[in-house]
Amino acid sequence: MDTSLPARSRIRAPRRPGVWRQGWRRLRRNRTGMLGLTLVALVVLVAVFCPLLAPYNPDDQSAMMSFGASAPPAWSHIMGTDRLGYDIASRIVYGAPTALTVGVGAMLIASLIGVTIGGISGYAGGLADELLMRFTEFFLVIPVFLVILSVVRLFGIIVVGTWLESVPHLNLGTIIVLLGVFGWPPIARLTRAEFLRLRQLEFVEAARCIGARRRDILLRHILPNALPSIIVVVALGVGAAILSEAMISFLGFGDPNAVSWGQLLYFNYETLKVAPWASLAPGAAIFITVLGFNLLADGLSDAFNPRLRQ
Amino acid sequence: MTAPLLDVEALSIEFQTPSRKVRPVDGVDFAIGRNQTLGLVGESGSGKTMSSLGLLRLVPRPGRIVGGRIGFDGQDLLALSEPEMAALRGRRMAMVFQNPAYSLNPLLTIGRQLGEIVAWHERLGRADAEARVADLLGLVGIADPGARLRQFPHELSGGMKQRVCIARALLCDPWLILADEPTTNLDVTIQAQILDLLRSLKERLHTAMLLVTHDMGVVARMADRITVMYAGRVCETADARTIFRAPLHPYTIALLESVPRADRAYDRGRRETLPVIGGRLPDMTHPPAGCRFHPRCPEAIAECSRVLPLATPVAPGHVVSCIRRGSASIPVAA
Amino acid sequence: MGILRFILRRLMFAVVLIVGVSAIIFFLVNAIGNPVAMLAASQPNATEDSVAELTRYYHLDQPAWLRYLLWLWNLARLDFGSSITYNQPVAQMLAIWGFETLKIQIPAILLALGLAILIATIASRRQGSRLDFGVMSTALLGQSLPAFLMGVLLILVFAYWLGIFPSYGAYSTRTLLLHSSLADGLWHMVLPVAMLTFFNTATLTLLLRANMVEVLRHDYIMAARASGLPERRIIFGHALRNAIIPVLTYLGILFGLMLATAPVTETVFTWPGLGFLYINAIQQLDYPVIMGESVVIAAMLVLATLATDIAYVLIDPRIRLD
Repeated sequence: MDTSLPARSRIRAPRRPGVWRQGWRRLRRNRTGMLGLTLVALVVLVAVFCPLLAPYNPDDQSAMMSFGASAPPAWSHIMGTDRLGYDIASRIVYGAPTALTVGVGAMLIASLIGVTIGGISGYAGGLADELLMRFTEFFLVIPVFLVILSVVRLFGIIVVGTWLESVPHLNLGTIIVLLGVFGWPPIARLTRAEFLRLRQLEFVEAARCIGARRRDILLRHILPNALPSIIVVVALGVGAAILSEAMISFLGFGDPNAVSWGQLLYFNYETLKVAPWASLAPGAAIFITVLGFNLLADGLSDAFNPRLRQ
Repeated sequence: MTAPLLDVEALSIEFQTPSRKVRPVDGVDFAIGRNQTLGLVGESGSGKTMSSLGLLRLVPRPGRIVGGRIGFDGQDLLALSEPEMAALRGRRMAMVFQNPAYSLNPLLTIGRQLGEIVAWHERLGRADAEARVADLLGLVGIADPGARLRQFPHELSGGMKQRVCIARALLCDPWLILADEPTTNLDVTIQAQILDLLRSLKERLHTAMLLVTHDMGVVARMADRITVMYAGRVCETADARTIFRAPLHPYTIALLESVPRADRAYDRGRRETLPVIGGRLPDMTHPPAGCRFHPRCPEAIAECSRVLPLATPVAPGHVVSCIRRGSASIPVAA
Repeated sequence: MGILRFILRRLMFAVVLIVGVSAIIFFLVNAIGNPVAMLAASQPNATEDSVAELTRYYHLDQPAWLRYLLWLWNLARLDFGSSITYNQPVAQMLAIWGFETLKIQIPAILLALGLAILIATIASRRQGSRLDFGVMSTALLGQSLPAFLMGVLLILVFAYWLGIFPSYGAYSTRTLLLHSSLADGLWHMVLPVAMLTFFNTATLTLLLRANMVEVLRHDYIMAARASGLPERRIIFGHALRNAIIPVLTYLGILFGLMLATAPVTETVFTWPGLGFLYINAIQQLDYPVIMGESVVIAAMLVLATLATDIAYVLIDPRIRLD
């Protein structure tokens, strides 16, 4: 027992650092959270430096002529080549920016919709709340993945012959928008709950009493305090959106012009028996990315709500 | 005097996590005779609740009992095997918890969760067990016990729930009831009813009781003897009358002075204001050296931080640990 | 009385849901034009006459809203129409392919629930131990390993390398041609069920363990201990009973997730279920099948959530239906 310290000095409460710094400090001590952050950072770095990291051009099929298609890993092609003669390592590296674009893009859209709807419904209450919550409930019960699949397919046919056809990566854009448009209900639910909780806390009450404008109360007092919880759901959502894109591409409804892990799996799944590396590599990339975001979300929720879980 | 029913000596409970070590209960002694009520008094965080859980050997992890002896009806409870201890819980020694709203399982009917306990301890069938439960519900003053058996906790009021909890503690005619702040979470009017109920039941059933509370008013009504705790240690133990008439330990005195009294006027304009104990309970990871009360004690001298006061009898049945009152002491390790 | 009213309200919600989902899909399908003509464009032996005949048969010459109302009217009589590409009644197809889907999904959910109860109970009892840490890490990894990737691994190891289980289909070709065999069907189920069970178990274990840890901290558990009840009864009779409620409600959501991602998991195993059928149907623009299947899956989801809600009410007396 430490008896050398004067007792009185211990009584004073230390100055409390802000939510973010406190959260970061706790996250740094959280093993799962840091593992997740490391994995996510890895994917981000690969995505940023993909031209430097990739040994070949992702569209280079010349291995077909020399090295051979579906060839096992070797020094010149460290993950082997796939059925179409692409260097798998290069495809994997170039798949990272695609995956992140999908994840972040979809969640940007979802957050915008979700925070707006959830915020209005949590702060305004009453009939607006009732209506909006029924609406989110509706979205929660429809088999979202099936609807997205058919919309992607049908939209791909509808645009044939229109000016939209010339938009680059139109198919990928469609997938991102759909994932965003169908991905907001969890964010809305959480935002609503947080706004409901925060709306009746003293500092918001105080802001209202001194006559702060409603917009200021919402944007400067409530929203910043709801953000930590929202970020946890968004981090989970990024992982889920990346996984959804991978599954859509695996089923053959992906963007033929984009380099994506799901598509790599789609092209090479038939040759799983003879060239397992061509399926395992993209599978591992998807797993690592999804795992990274899930662990990060787990760590963040521990860091921001230390009481909630031990 | 015959041997007491419960005799706790030097009980210590320690919580150890990789980063720190805390002793919420540090060498505590107290005793309860048969049919007697002991009031265990102190601020929240002084180790009262932990001591009572320690008696049942139910200290939550990562805490554990690290020393002492719990003599109960001539046995040392710390020497019993876990099954022997389990057979004793609820049968010989039963507990009433602080918050009746949380201490009943919300998913089971009253009849089912109380009946289960009787059935287990007394090896009774379901019907017999429920009949016993109904008897006890009647005894604790619940009207129409037969109907209550089929109700769920959320269908009862707070006072009613606490009555059910008391009935649960009495199911198997225990020798000792541990009541942990039994009225703290109740409305003031209900508090009085519950206290009266506890007292009358104790008389009728010849049960001893350990009443854990922070409320001097409650012990004044209920207790035969009082033990005052501060930061995991015992300050003073004496008859209730002595504690209220002639308290010795500075903490006891301060505690009594901080109770508002109807016969005095407390007003900011006048000279007399309600005295408070300055400072706050120490951080238990780094408790003060020597007497733990000395940083807040009005009578503290330099010596108080250098020696550990020992519980010393000053009169028959009156024990104090304060060097200013002549208690023995040992120097603290530097 | 209360419960009937509740069920009735839920069913009304289901009807609204089904009309909504089917309308979206119907008008999207129709935005692409005449699906028969589009299909015929890829079929060299389709004649103009047969296209015209099929167009008339499917009322494709009528306005879209009229056809939608007609479709709804037929749906009300449980007539899903007939498939464009398979030339079979959609209702019959859904029954056959749906059976194959449920055949792997339901065992996977039930097995996972049992396993999760077992694992989470043990882990929460030894909270903070190495065993607990191992279980939690595995579950966290398992929850992040998408079921279809697990399927790819299982096929590679158990079908291709070890050669124990078949890699595709619900029956062997020989069985399909000669005779039906229960053993053969079960043999084909092993890997797909294992794939789904692994993911479900990981998810449910994480949830149940978190709830158990939370419940074990409650006063009523301490009170039960203080009453001298045996540990086994405290864990199963008190703690698990309280901890499992959120898990049961989650089962409905999990089932929905599994049905919605069935196209992926069934593609991995070439499993002749609803998911596989759906992929074929949207590739072939077989709109009666697309719509019929969307409706059936939405209905299954509503029924699953309804079932979990009723279970909730039966277990938790505090929940009132209103």
